[in-house]
Amino acid sequence: MRALDALARRTLVARPLRTILTIVGIALGVGVLVAALVLNAGLDAAAERSVRDQLGRTDLRVAAFEERGLSRASLAALATTPGVAVVAPELERRTYPVPDPLAGSGLPVPVTVIGVDPAADAALHDRPLASGSPLPAGGGDVILVSDALARADGLAVGATITLNGSVESGPRAFRVSGILAAVPGDPDPAGRSIVVPLQVAQTLFSTDAVSRADLGLTPGSGVAAVTAALESRLSAEPYTLTTPGELIADLRASTADFRAMIALVAAVSLFGGAFLIFNTLAMTVAERARDVGLLRAAGMTRRQVTLLVLISAGHLGIAGVALGLATGVGLAAAVTAYVSPGGGVLALRELVIPPAGLLLGALLGFGVTIAAALEPALRAGRISPVAALTARLEQTAVLRARLRWLTVVFAVVGVAGIALWPGAADGSAGLLRPLAVYGLLLGVALVGPFLVGPLGVLVGAIARPFLPAEERLTRSALVRDRSRTALTVGALAMALAVLVALGGVAATTRQAATAWLTEVVPGDALLTSVRPVALDEPQLADLAAVPGVARLSPIGRFAVAVGGQRLDAAAVVGADLLSDGRLVLTAGDRAAALPALDAGGAVILPAAVADRLGLPLGGLLQVLAGPEIVALRVVGIAARTIPGSSGEAVLVGWPDATQRLGALGADVFAVRYVPGQAAAAAAALEPLARANALEPASLQAVAGTIGASVDRLFALLTALAVVALIVAGLGIVNTLTMNVLERVRELGILRAAGLTRRQARRLVMLEAAVLGAVGAIIGVGAGIVAGAILAALGAGPGVTYDPGLGSIALALVGGVALAVVASVWPASLASRIEIVRAVQYE
Amino acid sequence: MPPILEARDVTKRYRLGAGDVEAVRGVSLAVEPGEFVAFMGPSGSGKSTLLHLLGGLDRPTSGDVVLDGALVSRLSDDAATKLRREKTGFVFQFFNLVPLLSVWENVALPFTIAGEDARRAEHAAAIRAVLASVDLAGKERNRPDQLSAGEQQRVALARALVRRPALLLADEPTGNLDFATGTEILDRLWRSCHEGGQTVVLVTHDAKAAAYADRVYVLRDGSLRDEIRLGRREDHGAAPLIARLADLGL
Repeated sequence: MRALDALARRTLVARPLRTILTIVGIALGVGVLVAALVLNAGLDAAAERSVRDQLGRTDLRVAAFEERGLSRASLAALATTPGVAVVAPELERRTYPVPDPLAGSGLPVPVTVIGVDPAADAALHDRPLASGSPLPAGGGDVILVSDALARADGLAVGATITLNGSVESGPRAFRVSGILAAVPGDPDPAGRSIVVPLQVAQTLFSTDAVSRADLGLTPGSGVAAVTAALESRLSAEPYTLTTPGELIADLRASTADFRAMIALVAAVSLFGGAFLIFNTLAMTVAERARDVGLLRAAGMTRRQVTLLVLISAGHLGIAGVALGLATGVGLAAAVTAYVSPGGGVLALRELVIPPAGLLLGALLGFGVTIAAALEPALRAGRISPVAALTARLEQTAVLRARLRWLTVVFAVVGVAGIALWPGAADGSAGLLRPLAVYGLLLGVALVGPFLVGPLGVLVGAIARPFLPAEERLTRSALVRDRSRTALTVGALAMALAVLVALGGVAATTRQAATAWLTEVVPGDALLTSVRPVALDEPQLADLAAVPGVARLSPIGRFAVAVGGQRLDAAAVVGADLLSDGRLVLTAGDRAAALPALDAGGAVILPAAVADRLGLPLGGLLQVLAGPEIVALRVVGIAARTIPGSSGEAVLVGWPDATQRLGALGADVFAVRYVPGQAAAAAAALEPLARANALEPASLQAVAGTIGASVDRLFALLTALAVVALIVAGLGIVNTLTMNVLERVRELGILRAAGLTRRQARRLVMLEAAVLGAVGAIIGVGAGIVAGAILAALGAGPGVTYDPGLGSIALALVGGVALAVVASVWPASLASRIEIVRAVQYE
Repeated sequence: MPPILEARDVTKRYRLGAGDVEAVRGVSLAVEPGEFVAFMGPSGSGKSTLLHLLGGLDRPTSGDVVLDGALVSRLSDDAATKLRREKTGFVFQFFNLVPLLSVWENVALPFTIAGEDARRAEHAAAIRAVLASVDLAGKERNRPDQLSAGEQQRVALARALVRRPALLLADEPTGNLDFATGTEILDRLWRSCHEGGQTVVLVTHDAKAAAYADRVYVLRDGSLRDEIRLGRREDHGAAPLIARLADLGL
């Protein structure tokens, strides 16, 4: 065994560049896998920590469904429910600080105000202070401000800040009694939160309701029993009940798509690394066939020969995995650093390195390495001394064996990928996406050998007029070892397929996220409010009277309860949508449906919701509104409506929204300008809007902001997918080098017959360009289909798949460019062949 | 008429370990157009090295090689390659065919490398003619692994002849062949010279092969030892040459 190990090491050391390339390839493949595992752990930890920060020691959270909030009656019912020890109510509202007159004319950045009962709050939540003192039990006009707000607005303990309240209460001044320590999970998107006594907040916002109540249960009380007790007692208005575990699960589910993409990229990278191992060992076996024959003739058994190759693979695997673990942690650290300032759906806060994840990554990486080495090792064991001396290419047998190997390795890698894929553990529905995508990629790899020939001829035909000699010789080079060429092309095609799929999903996601702006919003611009604006507030008339403003259409987003589920809803003016030509219905008559909303008793459903609830046109949507059920007739089904916090919103008219469903007002106004007067009207409207705490933005600006956040996420995934492409590039270097080394004598003869060094170099580079082009064509085709599968299964109906032409063009050009760059060294090798030595080469 | 091939005090030195080895030392010779010349000598005498230098496959360490009036030893690699492409044809001991090309495509390689379409009428005719001249008509579609050793060497010979180069250089072309097959190859080389007017330079250690030549240069330890004139003969009997070699102690 020691002798075999020594021989294996010498074989690896004899080809240092090839060995290093292979180790780097494995490291990159394992690196992306480990990065995926580390990021998953980080996301899990971030979700848990976020919920802990939000809920503290809360056992159950009762949240209001409607904008009106939970009433006193509901709070009283909570307090008297058996098993409930502590009720900590909170009122959460967003508002603007009163702007500094010396500052510019823009609106100040809004803040989130949280009103709490200090005594009850302290029982369930920790609000550590960086300085100052906590809220007094008796209330008063004192507040705690977050660390981010204090630093941004220059607030210290004792400073005064004036907040805008409701129209009725007006602005109110507060003294800062304490500054909260900087902890993650601030309820305000920008970390600008203020904690005030509950009664103060209720007075400021002219309400006696609360947004939610956190409950601490008596020791020994079960959540299920308390939940059952609450169901009979809470009847004043609809509510949701959430446990910390359910919140954590929701947060984890919100990152499912990101994790799925990472898993896909990791699987493809790992496969690329496996191919490098295979290629390297296949090269070594081919080069050493005569040596192996001699060893066999001298008495080495088949088993010992197989073991020799596997030991080589083991060394490569150990080195590659070790480097891969470090690479993976580094990649994860880079992703965390990139993502954490932005927050959003990826609430990564810190790097979490799970020992179990590292072990899993190491074992999977090593396992794939050995699986990749099996075929070359077994083939080496089958070399007979006679065959070694008269080695012939047996194309068909080699191709069959390699396709078998390909299926085995892909199965191993596929298992790894599915294990990483979120939702796969949830059963058949969760498995469908990864199986479909992996099945497609495996199909690409298996079909590749049969496409390389014809596609290669087609692509080579383009080069023929310019490089006739090189093109003819390239064709023979590509079919020299069809299976190796096919695997090289396959690895490249898969990496490019992932890139194209990501591009398509990104484009589709961007389209889905912004399409509502052009298809539903009846205006040229939006005015956004942090609080619901009642439709009879006087400033609206002033805004609508600005010259050049044709119309101000209110849109109010809120939530409704249907059959125990939370649904997003939006109040719109049907007449405005009708006159603007907006909102496409897939069922129902627009001319009748939109006025029906304004008349009341009607609803328009987005197609996804209609499908989910099984409601046809003419059906009844039964909405729980307080103690009553409000039945709304479905007068239309739309391809797309306005997005809510968890899906597309059902559309109702304002009469139903305010009088029956608890909506308080509009949070967005769509502004339609008179044609030709938009610029002047906007210039007059915008300062007036800001003065009334309404933030103006053009539809393009809103689309740009949404698009930018989508692009940021996908840029990250694309960067990781580029790693898979690099691994494929290393595979091309390996293959082309092998092709050159196998053709040393042939190249020598060609040089003797008059092939110049430049022609020899161009020969190899053209070979690479053809490989790259074939890989790009196959990869782009597979990528478009994979992207369509991912988009269709993820986005649901009503979304048109956009293949992302930019990604396709980049993949086509990039595939060829990568291959040509990868060919630089092998081409140089070919051009430097010494003719005399080459023609005597055996 | 000036010589078609000249070596002027050519030396080739290789670095081997700590020291240098002179494979060819101070060789000067000239080959006239249409001559058949052979280089003979024991193994390691430098005859193959000399052939490679004369054919422009390698550069001398010192001295010059003139090929059809061009100072090939001083040309750039590209220029030397192009000159070699136009003026020479090579036949080696190990056939050296491109395994995945057919017989036709292997023979067409000189046209392909030059960027010319081998399917052009004149090129196709030349390929057919040269294949017929080596008795391989009908085997155009075969691949090298479907041919015998002799047939493979005939394909290599056809490839060297297809452009009717002025100079044909053959390095132990019969080294891997049996006597009968080797004789066929040598006969064809001789006909190229005698009937086609091509100049042939043959490297061999076999006196029977060298006996085809008009002149034989004998090398030993990298230097020219002797020049034996045999003259143009239809009968390639080796007895006179063997006797002369015996006199030289070879």
